Amino acid sequence: MKAVITMWKNTRMIILVAVCAAIYAAALIAFKTAIPLIPGITEVRVANIFPMVFSLLFGPAAAWGSAIGNLIGDIFGGTFGLGSIFGFIGNFLLGYLPYAMWTTLKPIADGKRELALGDWRSWVLYIILALISSAACGVVIAMWLEVLGLVPYPVLVTIITINDTFGSLIGGLLLLAVYGVVRRQLRLIWWDVMEPEDIGKPAAGVLGAWLVVVGALAGWILGAYVLSGQALIIGIITTILILVGSFLM
Amino acid sequence: MNIFLYLDENTWFHRLDPRTKVIGVLLLFGIVMVFNHPLYMAAVALGLVLLGAAAKALPNFWRMRYILALLVVFSTVLWPFFAKGPTPLWSWGRLEVSRESLMYAVAMGLRLASFVAAGLIFLSTTTNEEFTHGLIRLGLPYPVAFAFSTALRLVPTFAGAGATIVQAQISRGLDVESGNIFQRAGKFIPLGVPLFIYAVRHTNMLAMALESKGFNPGEPRTWYLNPQMRRADYIALAVLTVLFLAALFLRLQGYGQVLPRL
Repeated sequence: MKAVITMWKNTRMIILVAVCAAIYAAALIAFKTAIPLIPGITEVRVANIFPMVFSLLFGPAAAWGSAIGNLIGDIFGGTFGLGSIFGFIGNFLLGYLPYAMWTTLKPIADGKRELALGDWRSWVLYIILALISSAACGVVIAMWLEVLGLVPYPVLVTIITINDTFGSLIGGLLLLAVYGVVRRQLRLIWWDVMEPEDIGKPAAGVLGAWLVVVGALAGWILGAYVLSGQALIIGIITTILILVGSFLM
Repeated sequence: MNIFLYLDENTWFHRLDPRTKVIGVLLLFGIVMVFNHPLYMAAVALGLVLLGAAAKALPNFWRMRYILALLVVFSTVLWPFFAKGPTPLWSWGRLEVSRESLMYAVAMGLRLASFVAAGLIFLSTTTNEEFTHGLIRLGLPYPVAFAFSTALRLVPTFAGAGATIVQAQISRGLDVESGNIFQRAGKFIPLGVPLFIYAVRHTNMLAMALESKGFNPGEPRTWYLNPQMRRADYIALAVLTVLFLAALFLRLQGYGQVLPRL
């Protein structure tokens, strides 16, 4: 979590936040009204090919960039409201969890930051993280909108999870296409841009990663299908698990 | 197409300090949250329309008319199946609709539309620069505000670049008109690669340009734009605070609710 704060000292990381936010927002706005799923709340988000790719390339800048980009998408899309607060947090997690869990979700992860795109185990991890980060985003946003009384939790958590997972999976193709350019030509991969002392080491990364896994999957499956009558309570508990887990990484 | 919602008018709302507008829109959100009875929510929604008229923001309401209408319709259709009430109207298996859940659904539709309306009034009367400046004056760290305002500035640039890339591919034979809506959306995904590269290439140049001008995210700054809180700002905040507290008081007395939930 340390890098999420210390990155604001680094000019390139600040610019990367702005660039990630602008790309995400531009894509969100372009497809905002194309295929609405819950009008004013969510739609088929073609733009969701970006956050996970940003995350694995730009690390903490992607977390802030996804959050700010979603907020700008709400503003320009005309859906800015109280729901945008947890839209910000949910999309922050969508950009934060993939890079944070890439090294901490042991034993599935091998602990190395470098993406071994030719190794099938990296793609298994990619698929798992796509699902977990999408479910975490869905749980947090759906819990808040249920609290506000805007959209029922069981409906929204499933829509966001599936929507974001598909976006992130398709984003894998984008990652394949741009990884070499960003890593070797532009030299903008996040752990090269940031100073090692600013990145730090997670306090209890493995524990945090598994708390997020439990929170995200329990929040989605229990809240939407098994105990949907207690959806709000499940949403609140699992949101706390996800946030605590994220903080520990 | 202009993607910005700001309308260049000279109303009292436009002249308010950005801090007043940020806090004011949060108070409006608070008022919108208080009631869940459709009649009370209709009164709140009507109040927002009148406020929108005073702020000359109605052209943006018209621009968003389909979204606003869909919000009410969708919520009204969806909520009756999830909120439970004591007076059943219809049931089929586990699905049940009650009189209270139906009224709650209409109220939630109006609440959702009211949120959007409050946001539209704010965005119609506040420039991006004022918005960013208001956030900084309210305590948002400068680097975060800088990233936010830079992103706002870059969105039209990247949207324009995206449109150019699409046009270039169409001129080479890409067919984006045929197929169903999912197939058409899928055709845009490969176009994300050149847009991504185009955008990320900007990063190094922009960072060098900023550093060559002495940009330091941690240093204190001075401002060209320096709006001040005036009497009108304090009056506006006081009125909104009183309205919010009055609404809260009414709700705590049991008015304006069809179901005992938010």
